[in-house]
Amino acid sequence: MEVLNNRGVEDYQTAGPKQSYFSPYSFNGGSILAVAGEDFAVIASDSRLSEGFSIHTRDQPKTYQLTQNTVVGACGFHGDVLTLIKVLKARIKMYLHEHNKDMSSTAVAAMLSTILYYRRFFPYYVYNIVAGIDDEGKGCVFSFDPVGSYEREPYRAGGSASSMLQPLMDNQVGFKNLPKQARVPLSKEEVVKKVRDGFISAAERDIYTGDEVVVNIITKDGVEVERFPLRKD
Amino acid sequence: MAAVEGPMPGFSFENCIRNRHLEKIGHKAPTAYKTGTTIAGIIYKDGVVLGADTRATEDTVVADKNCSKIHYLADNMYCCGAGTAADTEMTTQMISSQLELHKLNTGRKPRVATANRLLKQMLFRYQGHISAALVLGGVDVTGPHLYSIHPHGSTDKLPYVTMGSGSLAAMATFEDRFKPNMEKDEAMKLVRDAIAAGIFNDLGSGSNVDICVITKDKVEYLRPFDEANIKGKREGNYGYKRGSTAVVSTEVKKIPFEVVATQVVSGTEAMDTA
Amino acid sequence: MASIMTSNYQPAVSAVSTGTLSQPDWLTSELSTGTTIAAVEFDGGVIIGADSRTTSGAYIANRVTDKLTKVTDYIYCCRSGSAADTQAVADIVNYHLNFYKMEMGEEPLVKTAASVFRTLCYNNRDSLSAGILVAGWDKRNGGQVYTIPLGGMWTRMPVAIGGSGSTYLYGYADANYKPGMTKDECLKFIANAISLAINRDGSSGGVIRLACITKDGVERHVLTGDQLPKFYEDS
Repeated sequence: MEVLNNRGVEDYQTAGPKQSYFSPYSFNGGSILAVAGEDFAVIASDSRLSEGFSIHTRDQPKTYQLTQNTVVGACGFHGDVLTLIKVLKARIKMYLHEHNKDMSSTAVAAMLSTILYYRRFFPYYVYNIVAGIDDEGKGCVFSFDPVGSYEREPYRAGGSASSMLQPLMDNQVGFKNLPKQARVPLSKEEVVKKVRDGFISAAERDIYTGDEVVVNIITKDGVEVERFPLRKD
Repeated sequence: MAAVEGPMPGFSFENCIRNRHLEKIGHKAPTAYKTGTTIAGIIYKDGVVLGADTRATEDTVVADKNCSKIHYLADNMYCCGAGTAADTEMTTQMISSQLELHKLNTGRKPRVATANRLLKQMLFRYQGHISAALVLGGVDVTGPHLYSIHPHGSTDKLPYVTMGSGSLAAMATFEDRFKPNMEKDEAMKLVRDAIAAGIFNDLGSGSNVDICVITKDKVEYLRPFDEANIKGKREGNYGYKRGSTAVVSTEVKKIPFEVVATQVVSGTEAMDTA
Repeated sequence: MASIMTSNYQPAVSAVSTGTLSQPDWLTSELSTGTTIAAVEFDGGVIIGADSRTTSGAYIANRVTDKLTKVTDYIYCCRSGSAADTQAVADIVNYHLNFYKMEMGEEPLVKTAASVFRTLCYNNRDSLSAGILVAGWDKRNGGQVYTIPLGGMWTRMPVAIGGSGSTYLYGYADANYKPGMTKDECLKFIANAISLAINRDGSSGGVIRLACITKDGVERHVLTGDQLPKFYEDS
């Protein structure tokens, strides 16, 4: 006797074969945000990992340093994130041994695209953003969809609060809907400030964003990491 | 049809068939605010303490950061609501009205058992379609009482209860620390901690802790009782300077008008209510 | 008397889901008293017993539930199935029998109470999930037990068991019930039965509630965790 939740004629159907589904994916929340500067790039993520209504951990940032000046932000299904990062790191190490040099940020982005498209019909459920320094020494940001379509952009938000962060950055970093005088290139400090403030605001309204924001500041000399507290509810 | 002439009693089911058809061809029905909530209550030495968080969500977005989930039923009774915000609000309002009429008819203070019976019979009639999970608490002539009421109309009478998506976190706190006949301060602290457990560990609950203490002849409604979370301080200033919106073109038009009549009114006259 | 109640318990297997929030099962599922209840007649009265667990999916919504519900001073019912349905039915029967008592000026017969239960359960059999045992004492027929399983059937039995835990008890009940047991033997018989079912049935648990109904009224007992009858595996 099943608990009668939807009552009605269905209850009279005879017992027949029943198909049950298993979904190999789940969604673990989290947001990422990357901004390319003149000679630097900033990529940040929150540190909350959750599922449904509960928090798995408050200390799992979703940015991963791949080379001296390349950081990838990856969120979505954390199981796939871990696998993908493992594959990426292995491929980058193979490249290092074969060519005796670090992979460039642009090459990492191109390779990530092929890794993702390889699984076109059973995709990694991961939203990626790669940030780094390009071959000319300029800051660069590449955004991806889960099956490998990618594009270089001046700034990009991804993950559960992307729909809140992206329009904010459009206005504050992309100077959309602002007069021409306002359009001056931003310093590293200003970008970090805006990224941090964006996460503070996102944590107010997105239940999957919170606990801590981890900001990676990438220059030609390497990566600096800063952490700031967020709401914990 | 009927909507123009004035509402009929009870719910309107006019658009049920149309909506089912729309859903079949791929239009989603609008979602209601859910208060993925933590609510709780305990009985202590002199009465009951009710508690609630203040977050209302719409899917994964926080719709209201400071909503009120402890509803008034009568002077000696309050009711915490979890589930669909509209259902808890309207259900408690309707029962509150019935209790007031009952009080006027009988000339007696309503009893908590009466409120419980009215609520459970209404929810049972709607077979769980009214998503209201309630914690009902109050003090009447027979003493303090506390009930939990589920959306299908079943009720439990217990010394400590929790409801909503954060009910497990809150119940864990109660199971650990509840004891009978607590002092007021201790009881309030326990309820605060139970709600805080929900706020921090359940994503559907958040923001502040509201508390309502009901005793024989006094009600203390503390909103907020505690701000479990401090809001992050932003560094930047995100106000726009005057002139941020570009003026694309300007045109001034004259509106022709005629003065029909002029009346000068001095002072204010009282309205004639004779 | 093939089935009284089968299990309402469904394990909370929530396959991982993509995208939007899926509600945990204990938020949406109806409360059910995945239960063990039992009743037995003896000379001069009845003994009834129940566990105290109410579940909502895998969550125990109430661990000290009272499933022995009063309908008159001399008639009780044991509830199993949906908590909302059985509470509603018991409330309605309670109302009818109070009314009956005021009109007739005497206690209703147990058979009358059972008949009111049966009428409600049968007429609304499509929308109710309620398995009820009605037990009590009256002047005309002494102690009686009536069982009303899911479809609204109605029959008198000297001993009856119900709820999801009862599936573990048929053998025990058939082997150990003897006609003509004393009150104390009956109490022991019911307490043992509930204890055995609690040990095997995941949706039964908590404390054991017992009641004895005779011409002198009702006497109630509670056996808490440390007082549960023990068997070979617990010693």
